[in-house]
Amino acid sequence: MPGLAQTLFITASGAGMNLRPHHFILWALFIAGMLLMPELVGRGTLRTMVFACYLAIFAISWDILSGRTGYISFGHPFLVGIGAYTTAILTRRYGFPVEASIPIAVLVTMFGGLIVLLPALRIKGSYFALVTLAVMELMYQLVPVVRPDLTGGTRGISRLPALTRGAENGYYLAVCLMLAVALFAWLLMRTRLGTALWAIGQNEESVRGSGLSTTRLKSFAFLVSAAIAGLGGAFYAHYLGTITPRAFFDINVLFQIIVAVLIGGAGTILGPIIGAFFMVFLLEWLRPFLPGQERFFVYGAIALLIYMYQPKGIMAIIESGITRLRGART
Amino acid sequence: MNALEIRNLVKRFGGLTATNDLSFDLAQGESLGLIGPNGAGKTTVFSQIMGELKQTSGTITFMGREISGLSTPDRIARGISRTYQVPRPFTDLSVRENIRVGLMPDSLRAMIFGTVDRAREDEIAHSVGFATTDLDRPASELAMGDLRKLEFARTLATGAKVLLLDEVFAGLTTGEIAMIAELIQDLRGRGFTFLMVSHDLPAMEPLIDRAIAIERGTLLADGSFKDVLANAEVRASYLGEA
Repeated sequence: MPGLAQTLFITASGAGMNLRPHHFILWALFIAGMLLMPELVGRGTLRTMVFACYLAIFAISWDILSGRTGYISFGHPFLVGIGAYTTAILTRRYGFPVEASIPIAVLVTMFGGLIVLLPALRIKGSYFALVTLAVMELMYQLVPVVRPDLTGGTRGISRLPALTRGAENGYYLAVCLMLAVALFAWLLMRTRLGTALWAIGQNEESVRGSGLSTTRLKSFAFLVSAAIAGLGGAFYAHYLGTITPRAFFDINVLFQIIVAVLIGGAGTILGPIIGAFFMVFLLEWLRPFLPGQERFFVYGAIALLIYMYQPKGIMAIIESGITRLRGART
Repeated sequence: MNALEIRNLVKRFGGLTATNDLSFDLAQGESLGLIGPNGAGKTTVFSQIMGELKQTSGTITFMGREISGLSTPDRIARGISRTYQVPRPFTDLSVRENIRVGLMPDSLRAMIFGTVDRAREDEIAHSVGFATTDLDRPASELAMGDLRKLEFARTLATGAKVLLLDEVFAGLTTGEIAMIAELIQDLRGRGFTFLMVSHDLPAMEPLIDRAIAIERGTLLADGSFKDVLANAEVRASYLGEA
């Protein structure tokens, strides 16, 4: 195993990821901490963490496209929904095994996103955001009425085959999926491709003026983003066991994803994870005091305060804290 | 073979003709100054050469090949690149990372699996005058002179041998102008070809072999810097002399 670790380290360093030993240590600690959670918290908390994990996956997916390149997508629930509906239809209507339906769902999400949203990448700024929003709204309206025999109409599809039984197993599956997605995205963003995507968000004309095809770069970011959204959507559907149009193609899902990224820290991998956990737990903690929809006002106000205090999110607050600590020591 | 041959270039924006039947050559290793009053269409010419704007008619030949059908990245891959009137750095990225973007091959596979050539990044940064201590500074912290140097560095990193410099001295102090001028002279000595725009004629004069003057996209004069400035039409349009 040391040989394998050494090979991985050399390969990753050689590929320009500039990996250092402390990266491996921090990741190992993070993974170990997440995997030990079932020993430390109760089942109720574990269930809340499962939702946070899935939201984190969707947030990482959104961040790869929008947090890096600056192309704000309002259509991500559309991608999550395609993944969820594809696996639901395949397993419930056509009897596909889950092992086959989830990879197909990922491919369908990439393909569906490619057809519908990729042409929108040629337009910029608020126009891109509006087109993606329109696509999501269109899906919300279409899914219940087009082939309701397949989609289940407004009632959706229920009794989806479960991937796991029990809170602990559900947690392990969700957290492993989240960690795998986070690690993959982190490694990818540490390559020169990650630098190029970040550069597009700063000045797309300059990237093109540096000899790079920005259309190809954005398309790749979009496909990776769509694949992760589809993957997360498919697993989430099987965790829930029931899917409805409102649960996926809804503006509230979109807001949760975007707010998780913004308050956690766009352009980072840990940021969306922290943001997702912060939001999900905040809403849970508020529930006993404000059982109705009014708790969303409180959570919105808290998110706004954090955003006003540090627009780069909680990650930037943590980083500045670490910098201060180091400064105080020296 | 000329590095660049522009023939009968026309660019219209609706009823406005920004480039009007413009033709000129740029020899390999030559440094050519493009002068004209504000709004003469100098930057529009640059944008058409780089493919950022599509010309209405006319041809652009680079190293013997017509490049009008090529995308901007494809033109850069063939060895021509430009700087901008207002520097366009990647502000959140460090000096080194800005240069890295210029060095990247236009291939996703190479971007993901290829290695970062830090030695080459450092070499380019040092060649334009950055100190080692500057390399990890974010571009947002750089002064205008350093931003111009960074723009140069990123342009050089693309591997281009023909550089289009737009308002290369704009916003610079006297010291920074001397620094950039020295850099251009150094690159001329290394065989680079230049087409440059500047309103700072005294600073530009020693850096060019020849000049062309345009007004409203039309060529007024083509010749030595002194001859072009002595041209009556140029003096009237550019220097405001009757």
